[in-house]
Amino acid sequence: MTQAAHPLPGRGGDAGADRALDLVVGAGQTLLENGGEVFRAQQTMEIMAQSLQVRDFNVYVLTNGIFASARSADGAPLSRVRHVPLVSIHLGRVEAVNELSREVAAGQLDAAAAWQRLEEARALDPTTVRAERIACVAGCACFSFLFGGTLPEVLTAAVAGLLESLLCQQFGRWRINRIFTNIVAAWLSTLLALGVRTLLPALNVDTATIGALMVLTPGVALTMGIRDILNADYLSGAIRLLDAVLVAGSLACGVALAWLTARYAGGLVW
Amino acid sequence: MVELTAGRYVAQFAVAMLATISFSVTFRVPLRHYLACGLTGAVGWLAYILCAECLALSAPVATLIAALPLTACARLFAIQRKAPITLFLLCGIFPLVPGAGIYYTAYYFLRNDRTLFVNRGVETLKTAVALALGIALVCSVPLKRQKPHP
Repeated sequence: MTQAAHPLPGRGGDAGADRALDLVVGAGQTLLENGGEVFRAQQTMEIMAQSLQVRDFNVYVLTNGIFASARSADGAPLSRVRHVPLVSIHLGRVEAVNELSREVAAGQLDAAAAWQRLEEARALDPTTVRAERIACVAGCACFSFLFGGTLPEVLTAAVAGLLESLLCQQFGRWRINRIFTNIVAAWLSTLLALGVRTLLPALNVDTATIGALMVLTPGVALTMGIRDILNADYLSGAIRLLDAVLVAGSLACGVALAWLTARYAGGLVW
Repeated sequence: MVELTAGRYVAQFAVAMLATISFSVTFRVPLRHYLACGLTGAVGWLAYILCAECLALSAPVATLIAALPLTACARLFAIQRKAPITLFLLCGIFPLVPGAGIYYTAYYFLRNDRTLFVNRGVETLKTAVALALGIALVCSVPLKRQKPHP
């Protein structure tokens, strides 16, 4: 904050412009952190800045950063840089910020009320841990069915999904690296499928494994990366594509490790 | 025979809907949008399997065609419910995204199976590009009334 630089904060438009810029960048950051697209964050910030009459507002948004500059009423330059390293998708917050920007654009909210709404949007947390766990299990089971699985594959994928969501939540609590979490989750799910196959030789390990791992695969990241590239936003797209490659590599690593483990443990032939 | 096939498609539609709703929960979509998200995903998946099985189209082409009704649905819900299209799109494309393809590509890479690696990799990339193109195509159709807020 550059409050000290202002002769009298609160007088004239100075502190106002500063605070408005904080609000605009805060809204953009919330969008980006929770899975909003890059161009959406950019557009929303521009609309909000225009409605709040921020002078000379310019912003550059990347997948993991925001760079914004503006001028206060007396012409002093203002700037904000935000680093957004971690994206965890929370579309409820995206919707809340969108609603907020719509109301700001319509002139229904003043700065103070908008700040309060932004804080509320950031604190939004509608699903519980248990709901998420059930969703993970159901999702895994459904996907192994969609990929052509029958009852044994579906059940195996469901159990693997439960294991995987427990593991991800626990590792998240311990703040363990995402790549390592993916490797362990993939390893455990594949090992489970291989274990079930020793009891039930008809089981299709591939279908069960991919159903269970679909939750972790970076399909959405890949597609969104290509969308960014189609929007001529090459840098953001490349960041997402690299992320997708890394996640896919770590999942495959886990699966390959599980096959090796099974081979050494139980004389399975690859 | 015909009834059996129809029943199979109904089952696929229902399961795709359930899968999409599961992902809406993971992506923390507000409760009131679950059904819309589920429908979007199920429509996309149904279009995809119809194209892939009845018309015997390849995966990328089928994905491109399926992305059209999917995105149209997402746009419709976005306007009707005054919510950003991201909500319905991100959940709805989940059954179509080449998650399995990416995974197999990386897997064959590690197994050092170059032919399968390249085959899978190219197909995955094509599918992802087709999906992104389909989305971009429908999203850029101008509407008569004023453009919905992003």
